[in-house]
Amino acid sequence: MNDLAVLFRHRQLIAALTARDLKARYRGSILGFFWSLANPLLLLAVYTLVFTRFFPNSIEAYPLFLFAGILPWTFFSASILESTTSISANAGLIKKVMFPAEALPLVVVLSHLVHFALAIPILLAAIVAFAALGKFTISATILLAPLLMLLQTIFIAGVALIVSSASVLFRDLRDIIANLMQLGFFVTPIIYQISTVPSRPLRALLRLNPMTPFVVSYQKIFFERALPNLSDSVLMLVYAAASLLLGFFVFDRLRDTLAEAI
Amino acid sequence: MADAAPDFAIQVESVSKSYRLWGRRSQFATLKSALLKRDLKLDPDASVAALRNVSFTIDRGEAFGIIGRNGSGKSTMLKLISGILKPTSGTVAVNGRIAALIELGAGFHPEITGRENIYINGIMLGLSRREIEQRFDKIVEFSGIAEFLDQPVKTYSSGMYVRLGFAVAVHVDPDILLIDEVLSVGDEEFSARCIAKIQEMKYRGVTLVFVTHQLDQVRNLCDRAVWLDRGQLEAIGDPMRVVDAYLQEVSGTSLAEPPVEAAPEETPAPPPRDEEERWGSGEVLIKRVSLTDEEGRELVALGAGTPVTIDIDVEARAPQDDFVFGLGLYHADGTCVYGTNTDLEGYASQRLDGNARVRFVMPSLDLVAGTYRLDVAVHTRNGRSFDYRRNVVRIVVGSRVHDVGVYRPKHEWKFDGAIAFKAVDPHRANVPAPIAEAIREVEGDSSPQPLRPRRKR
Repeated sequence: MNDLAVLFRHRQLIAALTARDLKARYRGSILGFFWSLANPLLLLAVYTLVFTRFFPNSIEAYPLFLFAGILPWTFFSASILESTTSISANAGLIKKVMFPAEALPLVVVLSHLVHFALAIPILLAAIVAFAALGKFTISATILLAPLLMLLQTIFIAGVALIVSSASVLFRDLRDIIANLMQLGFFVTPIIYQISTVPSRPLRALLRLNPMTPFVVSYQKIFFERALPNLSDSVLMLVYAAASLLLGFFVFDRLRDTLAEAI
Repeated sequence: MADAAPDFAIQVESVSKSYRLWGRRSQFATLKSALLKRDLKLDPDASVAALRNVSFTIDRGEAFGIIGRNGSGKSTMLKLISGILKPTSGTVAVNGRIAALIELGAGFHPEITGRENIYINGIMLGLSRREIEQRFDKIVEFSGIAEFLDQPVKTYSSGMYVRLGFAVAVHVDPDILLIDEVLSVGDEEFSARCIAKIQEMKYRGVTLVFVTHQLDQVRNLCDRAVWLDRGQLEAIGDPMRVVDAYLQEVSGTSLAEPPVEAAPEETPAPPPRDEEERWGSGEVLIKRVSLTDEEGRELVALGAGTPVTIDIDVEARAPQDDFVFGLGLYHADGTCVYGTNTDLEGYASQRLDGNARVRFVMPSLDLVAGTYRLDVAVHTRNGRSFDYRRNVVRIVVGSRVHDVGVYRPKHEWKFDGAIAFKAVDPHRANVPAPIAEAIREVEGDSSPQPLRPRRKR
């Protein structure tokens, strides 16, 4: 894995750029990190309202269920959407400095991983609150979260490599992806459980969504107090590995044209 | 340095580089069109050669200049050496750590402080965090912006930006330093400091590669120079000689080149930075601008101190009664050397219809050798442009006297009293380029340019 060796060599650069990204984002805004949470919290509030008051459903402690699914989804969608512009936004680096271009989408993914990680204490606090009210019990399966996050980060990194380099050539990719992400939110079992979908073919279709095993597994460990399914675990491993390999393959093919095409 | 040391710093071997041209289709495909029209065309319609089969070797510790017209492939060569671009064919081998001053502060992020940017920029240039810590104080001292160090970079002036970028780049301690036209930025004091720093690095044995239009710098700093023309290696060797050959050639070919109306773009991509710009309403058109001598022969090979006339052919599409002709002469570094117009000099316009010729006659062009650019415009008295042609002519003034500056007053030296000179070297006298060539022929100086037979003086 020559590509990984290159990344390892540039680990300080990637770390410094990620830190820069986070600092630049939080500087000049009083609420800082809160803003990266505002969107998932708002989604959480709206869907909780809709599905506990307007259309009540049978899921106990629904806000926790929702929270466990929204956070990994936001990690995914925000990373991918932002990585579409990661290279063109840093055209100066690509054209004027000797610079490993693949660092740029990875920095985007890593800084969103940090946002994700910072949101987890809030989820834990919510879990503790529900437990204190006697509506929920805490389980040790939560400790599996770092492993899931690792797999998901690898999966997202591969996709980010593809969309970041491809969107230099296809300028409309960002718009396409923005729309796909809206659709994706509903074809991933985040606001509902896959088992409650009545149509069998639809359920099969939902399982084809590569984000499904990740979201379902997070819901398992945080909400259902269970281990992820074996099939989901295998799928996550396969998706992560395939995504990374394909990501590097595509990026390597487009790499030399980037400095010219921007 | 001239001895053929086996270890080189940079070896460029039969390197060619083509840029893609995307023809009529917009440069950026959209996935939508790719899917709808099934036109996923990733292959370019054509390509333009920026470099063709160029080979040279730069020894360790050498200061090497790359000169040539805009679009001749100089910057492309630098980007190939630095690894930003990959050659289409051929190889570039580099021995040692490179720092490229292609754009200073290219990696700065405006929202974070100068201090943090120093770290990130240093890491980008290949330093480790610890190495930066060791050099941090020197970097700050060199940049001279210590008091703004904890301000976000977006609050910096462009001069401060460049200072900080340069300070970081030179403290990387590279084995090879690539410099692309960056020495002309910053104020006098800072650019003097930059030159001093570069000389110090040269003394320490750092290999330097310059791309520049400041031919003085090439003559003063470089051990060797290469002249690229339209992507091909035209001459290589002693910087004095290469620069001289370049100046001769530029004057020679530009006889036909600059004034031609709608000249096809001859220079390959990337587009030249100082390309001609043109705007205006078009009611009066500047059809052609050319430089002629006293007898009306067109020229651009100008010897300092020779008579020159600027001929401006204009055409009014409709009769005009309010018109002003103006021109501006700029040094290659952007300094305005002189500017005037007919209104400033009291010519009250009355009538312009159809074709006309305006002539600006200078009995003697008292400029120092160098490259100059001419803007010519015709506009109304209140400044509305009919036709404004920026950089319409590129003027190369040649001289065998290496005096400096822009303006050369007419002068001679006189000496009284107990003072004597062994001789006055006539070969260094201020003579027009054609005569200089003749002199060189007499000297038997072998120029890289083939000499035309010429009678001896």
